[in-house]
Parts: sequence; C-alpha cells; structure tokens
Amino acid sequence: MIEIKNVYKYFNTLKVLKGVSTEIKEGEKVVIIGPSGSGKSTLLRCMNLLEEPTYGEVWLDGKLITPPDPYLHREVIEASKTFVKLFGEALEQNPDANEEELRESVYLSIRQNDLLKRHEGRAYRKALKAIAEENYVDINLARRQMGMVFQNVNLFNNMNVLNNLIAAPVGLKLKTKEEATELAMKLLTRIGLADKVEEYPQKLSGGQRQRIAIIRSLCMEPRYMLFDEPTSALDPEMVGEVLALMKELADDGMTMVIVTHEMGFAREVATRVMFMDEGVIAEEGTPDEIFRHPKHERLKDFLSKVL
Amino acid sequence: MAAWDSFYRQLVTLEGYKNVLKGLLNTAYIAVFGLLIGMIIGCLLATTKILPQKKWYVKALSRFTDCYVALFRGTPMVVQLLIIHFVLFPALGIQISSVIEAIIAFGLNSGAYVSEIMRGGILSVDKGQTEAGRALGFGYGKTMLKIVLPQAIKNVIPTLGNEFITLLKETSVVSFIAVVDITKAFQNIANSTYEYIIPYIVLALCYLVVVLIVTGLIKLVERRLRAGDRN
Ligand SMILES: Nc1ncnc2c1ncn2[C@@H]1O[C@H](COP(=O)(O)OP(=O)(O)O)[C@@H](O)[C@H]1O
Ligand SMILES: [Mg+2]
Repeated sequence: MIEIKNVYKYFNTLKVLKGVSTEIKEGEKVVIIGPSGSGKSTLLRCMNLLEEPTYGEVWLDGKLITPPDPYLHREVIEASKTFVKLFGEALEQNPDANEEELRESVYLSIRQNDLLKRHEGRAYRKALKAIAEENYVDINLARRQMGMVFQNVNLFNNMNVLNNLIAAPVGLKLKTKEEATELAMKLLTRIGLADKVEEYPQKLSGGQRQRIAIIRSLCMEPRYMLFDEPTSALDPEMVGEVLALMKELADDGMTMVIVTHEMGFAREVATRVMFMDEGVIAEEGTPDEIFRHPKHERLKDFLSKVL
Repeated sequence: MAAWDSFYRQLVTLEGYKNVLKGLLNTAYIAVFGLLIGMIIGCLLATTKILPQKKWYVKALSRFTDCYVALFRGTPMVVQLLIIHFVLFPALGIQISSVIEAIIAFGLNSGAYVSEIMRGGILSVDKGQTEAGRALGFGYGKTMLKIVLPQAIKNVIPTLGNEFITLLKETSVVSFIAVVDITKAFQNIANSTYEYIIPYIVLALCYLVVVLIVTGLIKLVERRLRAGDRN
C-alpha cells in the first residue's frame, strides 16, 4: 500500500500540491485526471520521491520513505517547546479545565496554525528521530518496488534494448545476467519485439520505445507501477499498442497509478478515478461516478473539454 | 641552398635530430600527461559542481572549484608556469625535473578547462536519464557511473579533443623554464646557424602534422562511439 498523508509540495513560492491524502491499495488501478498544471505529475513523483514533499509523508508498505512530518505525529508535537509553553499558559488560564481536552486543543491549534518553529528542543528532536528510525527504509530499496513510466520514455540512450532491460536487475545484483536476460527475453517476446533486442532506442518507434520502457520496469518485478502520461508524447497511431500493454498489466493484477488524458482507457481500466485541480484531489470515485455523475463544477467543465 | 645545407648539417651530421626527437617526446609527455592530470582534476572539480548543493561541505567544495577555475583561466599559462617553477616549488622546497614541473603546471591548468567541459557534458545529458535510473532503484553514484557519465563523455569527446590540441600547442612555452621541447630544439638549431627560416617552418610543419594526426584519432574515436549506438 502507498499512503500519501497530507502532502504539500512547493517549488519556491509556487504551491503545486496543497494537502493531498490518499491510499493506493494492493490491486487498485487508480487513474489521475485533471487539467494541465494541476499537480498530477508532481503527486506521482512524490510517491517514489523523485520530488520530495515540502510537508507531509509518503508511506510504502508500512515504511516511511519521506522524513517524518512533525505535524502528523501528536507525540512529536507534545514534545515540542512550543507545546510545553502553550499548554502551560492554557493551564494557567483555565485551571479547572479537563487536562486531556486542553492537551487536545493545544495540539490541534499548533497543527492548524503551523506553530512549530525551527528549533523545538531536544525532546522534540528525539521523538522525531525515533519515528524516522522505527520506520526507516532505504529509498533506493523502496523504489525497486515501484516501476515508473515517463511521458518522455527515458530509455537509456547509451544502452541497447537488452542492456536497458537488464541494467537495473543485474546492476543492483538482484539477478544474474542469465536470469535477467531470460526474463527480459520473455517480456520482449510477449510484446512482440524480441527481434529488437540488439537495437538502440534511437532506432525504435515511439510506441516500441514506450512499451520497452514499461517492460524495463517490469524486469525489476515491482509491486506497483506508476505511469505519467505514458501516451501523451506518442503519435496517435502508437497510442493503442501502449494502452493495450497497460491493459494487459492491469488484467494481470498489477497495482497501478496512471496519470492520463485517455478517458476511454480510464473508464475501462480504473477501479478509482481521481480528479486533481489546483493541487488538491477535488473529487474521486468509481469511473461511473466521475464520468457519469460528476459533482464538482470544475470536473464537469474539465470533462466537457476532454470527452 | 646554403640555408638548407646548414640546416641539414645541424640536423643530421651533428645529430641535431636527437635533440629534436627528445624535444618532440617532451612535448608529447607534457601534453599527454598534462591532459591526463587535467582530466582527473577536472572530473573531481566538475563533481563538486554537479553534486546536489545541499550539504555545507559540498557548497564549500563548489566554491573552491569556482575560485580554482577563475584563477587558472584568468591568468596566462606562461605566468602559471613561471610561478610554479620560480616561486611555488622553490618555496615548498620541491626539486624535480622541469619536465615534471611542466606536466604539473599544464595538468593544473587544463584541470580548470576540463572541469568546465565535463560539467557542460554532464548537464547536456537529459534529466530524464537520471530520473529513470533513480526510479529503477539505482543510487546517485551508480546512476552517474552507468548512465550519465557514459553519455556525457561521448558528448564531450570533441571538446576534450580540442582542449588537447590547444594544450599541445601551448606546451611551446615550456622553454621559459628550460625544458627542451620541440620548439626549443628547433630554436637551438636556428640560433646555432643564424638561419631562421627553414628551422621555424619545419617546426611549424611538425606541429601541424602532430595536430592533424591527433585530429584524425579524435574523429576515429568519435565515429567508433557513434557506431556504438547510432545516435
Ligand atoms: N521542478 C519544478 N520546478 C518548478 N516548478 C515546477 C517543477 N515541476 C513542476 N512545476 C510546476 O508545478 C505545476 C504543476 O506541475 P505538474 O505536477 O507537472 O502538473 P500536471 O502534471 O498536472 O500537468 C506546474 O505549474 C509546473 O510548472
Ligand atoms: Mg504532468
């Protein structure tokens, strides 16, 4: 499961994600739609930490891949100097109040008003560190679980098809060269490109490249696949072959998160559709709910443009 | 023909060619090892500029690189050579042969240029290549080594070749610190015969031939690399 908890992403002053929370469960096919610039790619890239969220946390299978966000942990906030100070003041002002309720209200006010400062004392640092250590996972290990397919493909230009496919499993010592080659050939055969094994990416068509990029990720045997507009840069006649491969993957039970403008594909494959607008998930639901019964004005507007 | 005769006498009968060959060898040593040292220094310096500028020591190193590059690009090669030979090494009490001093001086100098070349080469590789590597689980170092650097080096081979040719020609100033390179060897011949035309024209031809050979080699390497992935 990928858990996204209250993720914000700022590029300097540009606020691209403004508090996104969601979970991607095993077997789900989540399609993310939304206008250009709404933060879809950024959200996807936060999932495997190609972008580091400014606030918030991303969890993968119960492990924390971002640094812990103090605001998401009550015990951390309660260990902060600010909390101790505010709680002391609150106690003084309402000596008769229920202590537990008071703690709760101070905690909430710190959370809601971003009251934590840069330095909050030793106890606070210790609490934060404890969370980080308890849930630590090496990001490079975490990324092996999540294949990513890019809009502009990004096959390695300095390697032929076979080396593109086996570079990671062999380079990361997960498989021997023979094992990796066997899997690579199996997948290549499956997509009908076994004869291209020696070619360099520059010699292939856009659709072939993107399908090879997809199986390059599969060669790592990931549990999740992230797709960022995999067909947007392709000539129209090549879109079909890439979508067909993605459909196959979906039917095989792969957990997928897909940013796309292919609404037909979304309708057919998605178990959940997420509509992003101005850095938040403005609406989400089944394809039926989103495409047939949109509630949000912005979603209706968006659909009228793309359908 | 008298001019030619006296040149021939100096070169062959009086075995001046031995000096010329020695000079040529020195020129080659200084250029080749200078570039090698320059590449090592250049790659290290470029690394300090490419690393994510987050940690304080990376920032400090990157600053150092800026100063280094400014210093070596902002002063003439001859001056650097003179300072190393007459100021720096005597002050440090280092006594080594002038050829090695020249190699070090040219290495330090070309390090500044190579670092800029390498940095440009690395930046010229599409960011998507790095991202694809990282997304597959490669760490920063492995992504650099396996994916970015091979492409960067291929991109910079022509520029590095030019740098080598520039360096090769610039070595003609080493006579300032009493190294006998090919220029000095021909200068000696000219001075002992008071005939300048032929020795200096032959000298120019020597440089030209060497540069043409090097240019050919670079082209060959380039073509090999391109055949590798038919870009
Ligand atoms: N690395 C970056 N630096 C600065 N701005 C960025 C960066 N990446 C994305 N942005 C900006 O963030 C906004 C959202 O981008 P993105 O997530 O790519 O949107 P979408 O994929 O929905 O079109 C855009 O305005 C884009 O210009
Ligand atoms: Mg995008």
